[in-house]
Amino acid sequence: MEKLLTLENVNVSYVNKEKKVYAVRNVSFSIEKGDSLGIVGESGSGKSTLAMALLRLHNENLTEITGKALFSGKNLLEITQEEMNELRWQDISVVFQKAMNALSPVHRIGEQVEDIYHIHVPQASKKEIEERMIKLLKLVNLPERVYRLYPHEMSGGMLQRVAIAVSLLHDPKLVIFDEATTALDVVTQGQILEEVVQMEKEMDMTRIMITHDMSVVAASCNKVAVLYAGELMEVGYVKDIFKNPMHPYTQGLLNSFPSLKGECEVLHAIPGFLPDLSKPSEGCIFAPRCPHADDRCRREKPVQQTMKDTRQVACWLHQGGEENE
Amino acid sequence: MKKISIKKIWKTIVGDKQLLAGVIGLIVLLILALAAPVFATEDPYHFGKDMLVGLGENGHILGTNHMGQDVYSMIIYGIRTSLRVAVISALISGALGVLIGGVGGFFGGKVDTFVSELINVFMMLPSFFLILLIVAMFGNSITNVMIVIGITTWPSNAKLMRAQALSLRERVFVKSARAMGETKRQILFKYIIPNGIFPVIANTTMGMSNAILTEAGLSFLGLGDPGIISWGQMIYTGKQYITSAWWISAFAGVAIVITVLVFYLLGDGLNHVLDPKYSKKRG
Amino acid sequence: MSKEKKIPFVSVKDVAMWYPYHGKSKNKERGEKDWIKAVDGVSIDIERGEILGVIGESGCGKSTLGKILTRLEDPTRGDCLIDGVSTKEMIKKSNKEFRSTVQIVFQNPFDTFTPRDTIEKILLRPLKNYKIGSDDDERRKMCVEALESGGLYPAEDIMKRYPHELSGGQLQRISIIRSMFLNPGFIVADEPVSMLDVSVRADIINMLIDLSKNKGAAVMFISHDIALTRYISEHIAVMYLGRIVEYGTADDVVKNPRHPYTRALISNCASIDPEDKQETISIEGEPPTPLNPGPGCYFAPRCYMACEECYKKYPESIEVGNGHWASCPYAREEM
Repeated sequence: MEKLLTLENVNVSYVNKEKKVYAVRNVSFSIEKGDSLGIVGESGSGKSTLAMALLRLHNENLTEITGKALFSGKNLLEITQEEMNELRWQDISVVFQKAMNALSPVHRIGEQVEDIYHIHVPQASKKEIEERMIKLLKLVNLPERVYRLYPHEMSGGMLQRVAIAVSLLHDPKLVIFDEATTALDVVTQGQILEEVVQMEKEMDMTRIMITHDMSVVAASCNKVAVLYAGELMEVGYVKDIFKNPMHPYTQGLLNSFPSLKGECEVLHAIPGFLPDLSKPSEGCIFAPRCPHADDRCRREKPVQQTMKDTRQVACWLHQGGEENE
Repeated sequence: MKKISIKKIWKTIVGDKQLLAGVIGLIVLLILALAAPVFATEDPYHFGKDMLVGLGENGHILGTNHMGQDVYSMIIYGIRTSLRVAVISALISGALGVLIGGVGGFFGGKVDTFVSELINVFMMLPSFFLILLIVAMFGNSITNVMIVIGITTWPSNAKLMRAQALSLRERVFVKSARAMGETKRQILFKYIIPNGIFPVIANTTMGMSNAILTEAGLSFLGLGDPGIISWGQMIYTGKQYITSAWWISAFAGVAIVITVLVFYLLGDGLNHVLDPKYSKKRG
Repeated sequence: MSKEKKIPFVSVKDVAMWYPYHGKSKNKERGEKDWIKAVDGVSIDIERGEILGVIGESGCGKSTLGKILTRLEDPTRGDCLIDGVSTKEMIKKSNKEFRSTVQIVFQNPFDTFTPRDTIEKILLRPLKNYKIGSDDDERRKMCVEALESGGLYPAEDIMKRYPHELSGGQLQRISIIRSMFLNPGFIVADEPVSMLDVSVRADIINMLIDLSKNKGAAVMFISHDIALTRYISEHIAVMYLGRIVEYGTADDVVKNPRHPYTRALISNCASIDPEDKQETISIEGEPPTPLNPGPGCYFAPRCYMACEECYKKYPESIEVGNGHWASCPYAREEM
């Protein structure tokens, strides 16, 4: 499979006068074409920071970034803003949590879509754009008339669908959903997720799904990357990781979600709390909360190991390569 | 609140140039006012023999007035009057504003309608005229002046406090206090006022400069307290000699400008520092 | 639950909350008033030691119901009886007595405490108000014990802190601990974990379970998280536009939903198990504002199995056994 995006040792830290916060530390993974990768983590895991850095939407004066993010031969973290502007919408697009904030309240959806379209294809005719957009609206189960509505005439779920449709205008290679379904109701979220999965089958797109909700990942992704305190714990196929989580943090996280219809197992919280992100960590960052931590975990940072099922785990318990638990 | 460290306060003050300038100015004014006898070269109430003496003559740094009083010493002692007027009238205005506005915003309903109308009525009153009237009726002692300034300037504080109370009322901690069975009075004094008072403090500090100006204005019109030394009065009496002895009015005027500026800087600086939006912007 | 003449511990009787609507009224004759019916006739019982889950989408009135039951808002009609005593009367007689009987846990733990006081001050206040403990030293000791029993170490250190220095999970636990001081018989938990990180949710959930099982409190657990609600509660009530459309034991409602709305809701609920791919039932649109709903079934305009009759009269609730009922004429039919 062709690799679409490869991250190598990406570090993102926020710097201000007083301190430096290491929000993302040494994250490496890659996404193949056609993948849908869910990046999950709790607050402070750096998942949104990572996405913002990939899109170059962070505040450049306050952020320090090192490492590589190769996207069709270009390092997204180093190219100029102009080059990035070329890529945005065309090759990489994003859907945010609150779509209503991204749309102008005084213009019809159609007018805004035309503006966005013209940035990259100035010669496109109005009719062309309308046809394209209406096709996309159908994909997300919206009627044609939406094209002529104002944002305030629509509900949150409709707006979120519009945002998804707009993000697909130019057939981007990669779409990033940044908590795009978090603010929605259960039914709407379920339906949108299904539409997105359906759409992918037809459109051959690659998707990154940033969320804190494991069940969203289970429902809509084929791969998952688990972040904790800015570090990558485990990455691999959803079917492997959800069934047999190897990293203690992933195990803890999955234990915190009750099953919808299955057996009611006792829920366990992960004891302790997030470490101070302004200090560089020695040893495994999860060690203070980990039930299996020993001296070595506290001293040395575990290296990412590739397992038989292609997943990667950063944990000393699995250093041998292929052992069970 | 008591535990906010001095270090943190110091950091905030130094971080905001306006506030820093205001605080330094205030400290200088306070030192001058408290230690006035040390800084003054003469007793300002002493009518000396040198009348209308120019700058630097006979040891009078800023000259003397028509009664032979030392202008420099009068200005130093005048700080006391101005600060007293500023602080006491601002306290009156602040306390009234916080209470009335807080009650209106927190209780809502008919109480709020009444308070809002009251605020509007007071805001529409030409306050300077009202002050003139009261001073004319009850005599021109400095106490009267302070009280009058206080009770005519509270509406702006009340407006601020009411707005704060209205939004605080919807906050979870106020609801949770209600759910814990705390009385309305407890909620008003322990939750609404302490959490909503900062904009009022900033506004009151700004109001102090207005109070100083109002007092000076009254004195200039001859309605000040004749028993004490005030800058407004100095300008008023110096007016007649403006062509021959300009220093009497001029330096008092400068003193007013500087003091007003100090309080303005202080108030505006506090406004910046205490405004949550502003502090967020600075990260 | 046996249906003998026994008085249920908490009995919500036909509670409604209507807000007047002042906007443009549609298809209405002049003079008629428009109402937004946030809660429209809810009746439900909760026993001692029972946790009742209330689920529904945003705007279904579940939070308003919680506020009414804790009397943070006064209902337009209806009342809630606790141990046979009307809370309306109780609060009139003594606010404090009512508050110590009914407590609420709020959704946002970061805003539950005044930012200007330390945890110590915050915890001591209700103890002083209710004259629990003889002096401050004894009260302080009680606080330390309570914090430690809630898993908050080191308690002495936490007492000295301000709310913003603590995490959401810690604050929510303190919030429950504070409610516990008053020894309430009925606790409304309004989305108590939705703003918390997943890994600490279980602490709060287990605390609530402990409260109901060991202290015998009746708990109303309001949430939009169906899996979690099923985990914690014995019974689940599903709300739609201010009314309960289905009620039953947690397993019955989740595994065998009878109301079309519940069916759609549960089929759309993402499961943690990636292999549990279920057929989703799609319903159109999102819940509208409850502006003059009815006269038929409120869900009828979005329902995929509505018939003409559904638009005419609000359907009666049909029991399908084991206390499980749904307000739908098709409740008995399999899908």
